[in-house]
Amino acid sequence: MTRQKVKLAFITNDSARKATYKKRKKGLMKKVNELSTLCGIDACAIIYSPYEPQPEIWPNNIGVQHVIARFKRIPEMERSKNMLNQESFIRKQVTKTNEQLKKQMKENREKEMTEVMYQCLTGKGSIENLTLPDLKDLGELVDQTLKDISRRIESLKIASPNEAAAAAPPLPQAVVGGSSSSMVVDNVSGRDEMQRGTQTTQWFTDWMNNPSEQNLGLGPNRIWPHPFFPDC
Amino acid sequence: MPRQNKGRQKIEMKRITNESNLLVAFSKRYAGHFKKASELCTLCGVEMAIIIFSPTKKVFSFGHPYVQSVLDHFLEQSHPSRSRSRAYQLVQHYRNSNIQELNMHLTNLLGQLEAEKKTSEELKKIRNVRQEDCWWDAPLEILRVEELEILKDAILELKKNSERQVERLIGNRWLTLQQ
Repeated sequence: MTRQKVKLAFITNDSARKATYKKRKKGLMKKVNELSTLCGIDACAIIYSPYEPQPEIWPNNIGVQHVIARFKRIPEMERSKNMLNQESFIRKQVTKTNEQLKKQMKENREKEMTEVMYQCLTGKGSIENLTLPDLKDLGELVDQTLKDISRRIESLKIASPNEAAAAAPPLPQAVVGGSSSSMVVDNVSGRDEMQRGTQTTQWFTDWMNNPSEQNLGLGPNRIWPHPFFPDC
Repeated sequence: MPRQNKGRQKIEMKRITNESNLLVAFSKRYAGHFKKASELCTLCGVEMAIIIFSPTKKVFSFGHPYVQSVLDHFLEQSHPSRSRSRAYQLVQHYRNSNIQELNMHLTNLLGQLEAEKKTSEELKKIRNVRQEDCWWDAPLEILRVEELEILKDAILELKKNSERQVERLIGNRWLTLQQ
């Protein structure tokens, strides 16, 4: 059976609705059965359909009566604690989904900002085109990154104090050797990736396509001809 | 990448012997029942009640329109004609349109969540592409001290510049307000 996205609304087509009802009711009963068997717990299901006067039940009449009796023995407050109907259940789902959404949006924002930061570092992106809220977020990321780097440097110095004081060890060939694109990001492929991504926020795409004329001093010619990497 | 868990495995249909596995299985599965039940009610408009007792003796129930009304109906303790009263019908009608709205809201949120997840995947791709080219964009743990120092200097420079830019923007805004 292929997975189809079903719209969460009443099915107006009578025959489609009846078919869905039959399939889903069967599936639901099966699930309740499984849960009860696997976990050794009491459970029951009662479903009234417009197609029969008698309800469909699980496990059977005696089983259902037994569970209902046990249910009624529980004090009302206790029963109500985890009792749901359509409204309360869907509201719970809404809350949960909202939280997941917020979390994912925050994560994406952080990831985007990381891209912005690295683009600025290599002169492929410009600060000029960032708005105040962007700059604020960038500032937070920058501060956090600086903290992380300092902490990491400290822990490395503690681990091997001699090594840290020594002169720069030779760098891997791929970095120092030849190609001018080793330091300066040849971002053509990256940009293509960006433009293909229709889901990525529009501002980011626009921003990426407008590197500044004015070099704020972060371009490759400023930072990266570092004593360690004279060839770049 | 090695598997993080055992994945989908065919499970034997009998009581789970390991107590903690049993509790885990219950907590993973029981919520899905109410989701399926709620979907069935929305899609087909049926009345139903489900009662589940947990291994720790807690009780969970779901009912449409209400757990109690369905139980009463089943035990034939409610008079069938009551369900046809005008007041009752009006209440149900109001509830149903409320539920419809909630479902639309939920569908909307789920759509947004999916879009954000797609964005996340793309951002990951972009990052991977760039990390192949730039040594400095690696996780901090694998960089050496000299490399970290260089990176730190560059970022400090960026910080200075972006702070200057913020002042510039705020200044511009202030000037425009003055006019």
